[in-house]
Formats: sequence, C-alpha cells, structure tokens
Amino acid sequence: MTDQPLLSVRHLSKNYGAVEALKDVSFELRRGEVVGLVGDNGAGKSTLVKCVAGVLTPSTGEIHLEGTQHEFSSPADALAAGVETVYQDLALVEMFDMTDNLFLGRELVRSGLLKPFGLLRKREMAMAARQAVAQLPARFPDLDAPIETMSGGQRQIVAISKAAFWGRRLLLLDEPTAALGVKESAGVLEMVAHTASRGDMAILVIAHNLEHIFSVCTRILVMRRGSLVADVRAQDTTPEAVVAYMTGAQ
Amino acid sequence: MAETGAAAVGAVARARALRSIVLTPTTARIAALIGVCLFFSFVSPFFLTSSNLLNVMQNTVVVGIVAAPLTLLLVARQVDLSVGSAVAFAATTLAVVAEAGYGLGAAVGAALAATMLVAVVNAIVITKFRVNSIIATLGTLVAFRGLAKLEGSGRNIRVDDFDLIGRARIDILGLQVPLAVLILLAVLASFWLLMSQTRYGRHMYGMGANPKAALLAGIRLERNVIIGFLLTGVVVGVASLIAVSEIGAVAPTTGQGLELLAITGIILGGASLSGGRGTIPGIIVAILILAVLDNGLTLMRVTSFWQEVVRGGILIAAVALDQARLARGKADVRFEL
Repeated sequence: MTDQPLLSVRHLSKNYGAVEALKDVSFELRRGEVVGLVGDNGAGKSTLVKCVAGVLTPSTGEIHLEGTQHEFSSPADALAAGVETVYQDLALVEMFDMTDNLFLGRELVRSGLLKPFGLLRKREMAMAARQAVAQLPARFPDLDAPIETMSGGQRQIVAISKAAFWGRRLLLLDEPTAALGVKESAGVLEMVAHTASRGDMAILVIAHNLEHIFSVCTRILVMRRGSLVADVRAQDTTPEAVVAYMTGAQ
Repeated sequence: MAETGAAAVGAVARARALRSIVLTPTTARIAALIGVCLFFSFVSPFFLTSSNLLNVMQNTVVVGIVAAPLTLLLVARQVDLSVGSAVAFAATTLAVVAEAGYGLGAAVGAALAATMLVAVVNAIVITKFRVNSIIATLGTLVAFRGLAKLEGSGRNIRVDDFDLIGRARIDILGLQVPLAVLILLAVLASFWLLMSQTRYGRHMYGMGANPKAALLAGIRLERNVIIGFLLTGVVVGVASLIAVSEIGAVAPTTGQGLELLAITGIILGGASLSGGRGTIPGIIVAILILAVLDNGLTLMRVTSFWQEVVRGGILIAAVALDQARLARGKADVRFEL
C-alpha cells in the first residue's frame, strides 16, 4: 500500500493538429516529494501541468491518483480530486483580501433553511484564514488589505498558501519564482519547503532557475521537445548535467 | 486559543469597519449629498418640506429599481443597455392587452412576460453566442424599441384604472409614503443582501475583477451571468409596471434613456465598467445626489438643459477623483516592488 504512487502519469500525449506538444510522457510522484520540472521554453512543461490540472484534455494517455484513473474535463474536476495548481499569473482576485481569495469558489455558507440563499459565514472564514496565515513562514502586515497592495512575493505566498490550504494530494506550482527578486524568491522557496514538510502532498515545481530547483527539490524531471528525457534524483546530478539534458547534449 | 482568535477577529473587524466608514468613496458621496441638500435648503424654502422630499424619492423610483440589478451585472463586468427598451416593450404590451379588453391582470402578466423575454434573449445571445454584453444589449435596445412601436403602432395609449402600484400612498407615522418608494426600498435591500452577504454575490464580484481566476476557482461564470440577466428581467418588469401606473399612459418614448440614467448613477456611485467594484449603498447615494440636483435646480428655476450639463459634469468629476485616489493607492506598491 505504501509503495503505491500518489500520481501516476502514463503515456501522456497532447497534439495540436500536427504539433506534438507532449509525446508519451510517463512518471510517478509520491507523497512528501518535491519534484522539479525543467526544460527549455516550448519543451511542454506547461502543457503537462495543464493536463494534470484539468485545464487541457490529453490526446492519449492516462492520469492516475492513488490507483484511480481520472479524466478531468475542467479545473473544477481536478480541484475536486485534490489537485491544486498555482499558475504563473497567480489567478488571485487583486481587489479581494486574503480571506476572500482563500475561499473564492469554496465559500463557507450557512446551512439549514437558509442554505439555498448561500449566505456567507464571513466570521468563520476570517478566523480560518487567520489561523492558516499564522502558520506561514511569512508575515503579512495587513490581512484585510486587498491583494493588489501586496508585493509580488507576498502574492505568490498567498497563492501557494491557498493551494496548500485546500490541497489534499497534489500541488502544481508553475514558475513560482519567476519575476521575483532574490529575497522574495527565498521567501517563496521557504514557503514551498514549509508546505512539503507537512508530508501529505506531492509538489511538482516548474522553474527556469536551476538554483531554485536544486534548493527545494528531491528529484528532477527534464523535458525536451515534448518528451521526458530524464528523471533523476537531485543528489545524484548537477546543474550542468541537467542543462545538458535540456539542450540535448546528453 | 479560539476565544482570543475570535476576539482578535472582532477587534480587527471593528477597526476595519471604522476605517471603511470614515474613508470610502461612499462617505465622500454622502458628504456631497449632504452638501447639496444644505445648499438647496438655503436657496429654496420649498426644498426641505416633506412633500418635496417625497417627491424627490418618487422621482428616483424607476431609475433606482432598474439600477439595482444593473449594479449586480456591472460588478460582474456585464452591461445591460436594453432596460429602457424592455420597459417600453413591457409597458406597450400592458397597454395593448388592456386596450383589447383582456383585463388588467392579464395585461400585467403579459408585461412581466415581456421583460422576461428580453432578459432571456440577452442571456442566450451573451452566453451561447458569446456576444459581448454591450453589443448584445445594444442590439436588443434597438430591436425591442422597434417591437414596442410596432405593437402600439407608434401611438400614445392611455391605461385607465391602473393606479395602485405607481400612485398609492401608505400612511407611515403620518407621512404619506408612496407604495412605489417602498417597493424601491425593498428591491435595493434585496440586492444589497444578495451582493454583500451571499456566495452568488461574492462570485459576481470575483468574476468581474478577474474572470480567469474565477474560472480556475471552479465558479460557473455562464450560469451566474444567466441568473443575473434573469433577475434583471424580473426587476425591470416591476419597474415597467410602476412607470405605466405613474403616468397612466404609454408612449413610444417610454423608458427612453433610462439605461444611461441608471448607468450614470451606478458609475457615479463608485462602480467600474471593468467590473469588481460598486456597492448598493454607494449607488443609492449617487442616485439621490442626481435626484436632489434635478429637484433643487428645478426649484431654482434652472432650465432642464442646464441640469443635463450639470449631471454630466458631476459624473466625470466623481470618476476622475476616484481614479486619482486609486492611482495613489497603487503607486506605493510599485515602489515597494
């Protein structure tokens, strides 16, 4: 039972007409793992993540979560199966505060006779958000401020904490440190490590910056031109070797 | 632990409530409303009489009722320009059915069905044919105005004995409050609840502010837009009954320009065409400002042409001030990055 993988991607392909964005990709993830997904632009990383997140439907191949095959027809299906995704452009509502973002689409509402009206339980949501934030490695000066008043790094941490708050199985992070400065990147990576330390989820991180990948990941998947060309443990490889896989020199 | 957490949330909520009362676009507008009222009460002895103030309220009824669902739509980045024509189409239907001798009950039913028809057409064109709401409802604005004229052959039609909803007055603490004003208050209260206290309202704000984020959060955008337009149909139906009843007649021009009047109030009330912003209290204050201005300027015998100039100028000034305020708030963030 324990050696059953959390996520098993089997022979996944995605075609856009004659263009093969993904070619026969297979890999597995286990609980507690943080795995890096690297590759040059256009290597198929985003396509792969979007297939697992339910945004795209694969042309062929299967996605299994804990032994059960899933065919996601929308992001909502993937969310329901315990797969959370943090997209590069964050998908937060900038005008909303942290609580409203945390509960967007999953608001707590009153039960009983009032249930059909969907009356919000604002106090409970605010309390739950505060408790979640209290455990984060980052500090937020004003939790009630709209997200748009926060820095890029803080927003990224809000997005990851939202995914971690709801995620039960798999967390997909698409370029969490892109467009962030050194200090902010460190904060976000700390957040990733913090989330991984819970041990109940697998985390797949897409990143361009190999230094960031090596600092948090235990295993690295390398993609080139739609195919998975390497699946190596971080401690058994070097950034130079990974670049060689990415460019096809190896 | 939970106790202190609750206390902390309470304290923060109170601080937040205080800040949100002192420093918001809505309070600025309330101050403006009080200022305008003070000014007119000095200039005209008739302004601050209960009969005049009830008159102001009565004049805001149709536009205020229509503005409520339009605010809900605008918050979700949807516009309905067809409400004026929907009022005309429903009013003419009512007049024609009553004229043909089917009785007022059937006429009212037909009028309510008429606005629902407009709403259903809007909802289908926008969600199934994926036409932008401004364009879709511009189309229905023109088309249903034409249908209204066809139906009534372009005539003015009298509607007799249909007084209750638009002209009845109810004695509340010695004040003869028009029933229509009470209906207005009920509609505004319902939409305030819907927008600020329910999951549906929260989703509409989220969809308007960031449709992609809303979609990825599993919110059903199309369904919510359809519900928004259908609610608009119901409420505009009620508004059309009041519009006919107030005047006791229907003309080819009934309801003309109603959409722009309502949207002027909504934007003046702090909503944005790009969605996500706007509240019912803000819109109530804005519509009252516009109504008081009209009323006060009329009492001062200023021609209605100048009133239009003033209305347009105030709209632009208010939005420009909000923009300046928003830009200031965001500039800090850019430097922080």
